[in-house]
Amino acid sequence: MRKRNLIIGTVLVTIGGGMGAGAALAYDGTNCSEPGVCWEPKPGYPDKIEGSKYDPKHSDSELNKQQESIQGMEKRNAMRVEHFKKTGEWVNDTDELELQQAMSEDEQS
Amino acid sequence: MARARRTSIRQGCFALATVSVCLAAVPATAQQSQGDKLNELSQSEENWVMQCKNYDCNHFSESTQVNAENVQNLTPAWSFSTGVLNGHEGAPIVVDGMMYINGPYPNNVFALDLDDPNRIVWQYKPKQDPAARSVACCDVVNRGLAYYPGDGDTPPLVIETLLDGHLLALNAETGEQYWKLEVMDPSVGQTLTQSPYVVKDKVIVGSSGAELGVRGVVTAFNVKTGEQEWRAYATGPDEDLLLADDFNINNPQYGQEGLGTKTWEGDAWKIGGGTNWGWYAYDPEEELFYYGSGNPAPWNETMRPGDNKWTMTIFGRDLETGEAKFGYQKTPHDEWDYAGVNVMMLSEQEIDGEKRKLLTHPDRNGILYSLDRTNGDLVRADKMDDTVNWVKHVDMESGQPVRDPEYGTRMDHRSKDICPSAMGYHNQGVDSYDPNQQLFFIGMNHLCMDWEPYMLPYRAGQFFVGANVWTYPGPKGNREEGTGSGQVKAYDAKTGDFKWEVMERFAVWGGTTATAGNLVFYGTLDGFIKARDSRTGELLWKFKLPSGVIGHPITYMHDGTQYVGINYGVGGWPGVGLVFDLNDPSAGLGAVGAFKELANHTQMGGGFIAFSLDGESPYTKDIQTGEYQSQSASAGNDRQASN
Repeated sequence: MRKRNLIIGTVLVTIGGGMGAGAALAYDGTNCSEPGVCWEPKPGYPDKIEGSKYDPKHSDSELNKQQESIQGMEKRNAMRVEHFKKTGEWVNDTDELELQQAMSEDEQS
Repeated sequence: MARARRTSIRQGCFALATVSVCLAAVPATAQQSQGDKLNELSQSEENWVMQCKNYDCNHFSESTQVNAENVQNLTPAWSFSTGVLNGHEGAPIVVDGMMYINGPYPNNVFALDLDDPNRIVWQYKPKQDPAARSVACCDVVNRGLAYYPGDGDTPPLVIETLLDGHLLALNAETGEQYWKLEVMDPSVGQTLTQSPYVVKDKVIVGSSGAELGVRGVVTAFNVKTGEQEWRAYATGPDEDLLLADDFNINNPQYGQEGLGTKTWEGDAWKIGGGTNWGWYAYDPEEELFYYGSGNPAPWNETMRPGDNKWTMTIFGRDLETGEAKFGYQKTPHDEWDYAGVNVMMLSEQEIDGEKRKLLTHPDRNGILYSLDRTNGDLVRADKMDDTVNWVKHVDMESGQPVRDPEYGTRMDHRSKDICPSAMGYHNQGVDSYDPNQQLFFIGMNHLCMDWEPYMLPYRAGQFFVGANVWTYPGPKGNREEGTGSGQVKAYDAKTGDFKWEVMERFAVWGGTTATAGNLVFYGTLDGFIKARDSRTGELLWKFKLPSGVIGHPITYMHDGTQYVGINYGVGGWPGVGLVFDLNDPSAGLGAVGAFKELANHTQMGGGFIAFSLDGESPYTKDIQTGEYQSQSASAGNDRQASN
């Protein structure tokens, strides 16, 4: 606890110092607004790029593609694992697993 | 024979007069995990069962048959071609008298019997999506295999990543596929190049593709069933990061909750990089494993305001839950591609009168960090070389690097003479730690760069770099010739001093291996394997290989003989110009210009060579080993007579 107080104190001193002589100088990573948050824009550059000349205008659909892909892989892996745990047989092709499952459901009904 | 050896290994001690190999002598940490068969196997000098040698990842062998007094007698014993020419990172693994070796794409796997390595016991050639090659950033490398020793229900497994994002487990005895998981998807830029990491009943694997905006992730699967146990991201909401409730409790100045989104603008964390494709270590006492997340994406820093947490971070995560106990971000808001995935080496040393459980990490940013691996305390942060200039020093209280703005990067500006370069003063090499001398042996790059960002949109599956880079040897090298881009140093983490250091013609990309024979081995890009006296740095032995080296040496005992072996096969990031015949100095993410001289020393190849004293091998011990045995001795005699 004592160490934590010391560290917070150190950070605040650093922030205070930064507001004085350091703030006008270029980013050196020492002017922390809170623990672990020490980035600041370089002189002449925006702190937000949205709407600035550096706005890359990312497409939301592009940004979401990785997660959509990962969720699909997780689902397919779960099917393979479930089948493996039941049968001891590993089947890569999830279409085949879906077909087997559909046939099994047909038989039961 | 192999069965008999398995029995003897499990009994713990070996009747080898020249080698001190006994489980009674293993470190306390090893004894903590009794019943952990992989850990036990790693204590035997007859095995090299993990890429890092052991959970400590110290890459250190107790074997002394080859030593500083006789190493000049090392001679090739046998060799094996993988049949593939791209860069060969990593090394084979050795277990129970077998060697398992793979290579770059297409990631073929071979099992060799060390009693007669002429015989390929089994081979596996994976079918994978060739499109993965087009999204691999830096050649089509693979960093080697992992091994699971099996239990009563599950056979021993050889596990590898495939470039197209699969994780593949093979039955170690037959080479048949046991399971195969989809982990990464090349259609959105994701690949796998890492060596998987097995601990107990888990196999852990990271991700590659930060140069394509891939959001980094580390995932644990049950090694017996393939079932996903946990998955932790490098960026995004805390629940995705798997932060423990007491995350960074000992070091709140590093940052705690909410920063995986707060330190990014908008949804940039979704394409923010932080992949991890390097090396892990594990402490059985703490039940924590350690690794580093890589660079934020894109390289163009102006496009991603904020500290970009938790890229560039040394994580200590709970093995069972994946929860992060601590995270220390070494290069907040990276501006130079100092991807922090490098090796983690565990040791116990006395620092300022206090015994510390250290995690030592030579980072790409040119700083050698030592953390207390129980809680993440920053213990040391020493410049790897006095030419590191992006940072003045690391504030030991806050952990923040104090940057020199002169070497910062930004849009509409070409920054010059930044040291290290994007390739780092240290990259993917696996280094070594000699616990007897308490020295780390660091294979280094000596490379600096010019850097000029540019804007580009994100398109899933396309390169998302945003910077042109020109790389060249550092101030101690020869920039005109393109030489002097490597170093090897002996580092004392207790004092921060370098006991010795030597320059090399090219980057020492693959790392080092140390032995109790007072030796340190490493390979060079121009194709030598070298041995130095680990006490002094004196060059004692070298051998010119068929191609350059980007992997790490190994050593193992077999049938009373100590072998030293290494993969050859130039390539990887430093060899990308040679491999793909590129000439633009800024091509290959800046590597081509730095290594323009390399093609005058070596060409592509791919394989493994084992050395021993006087070339002793199964074929010299019994020249009939591997000979064709005629079905009918009389038929052979008849043919001889007719000649």
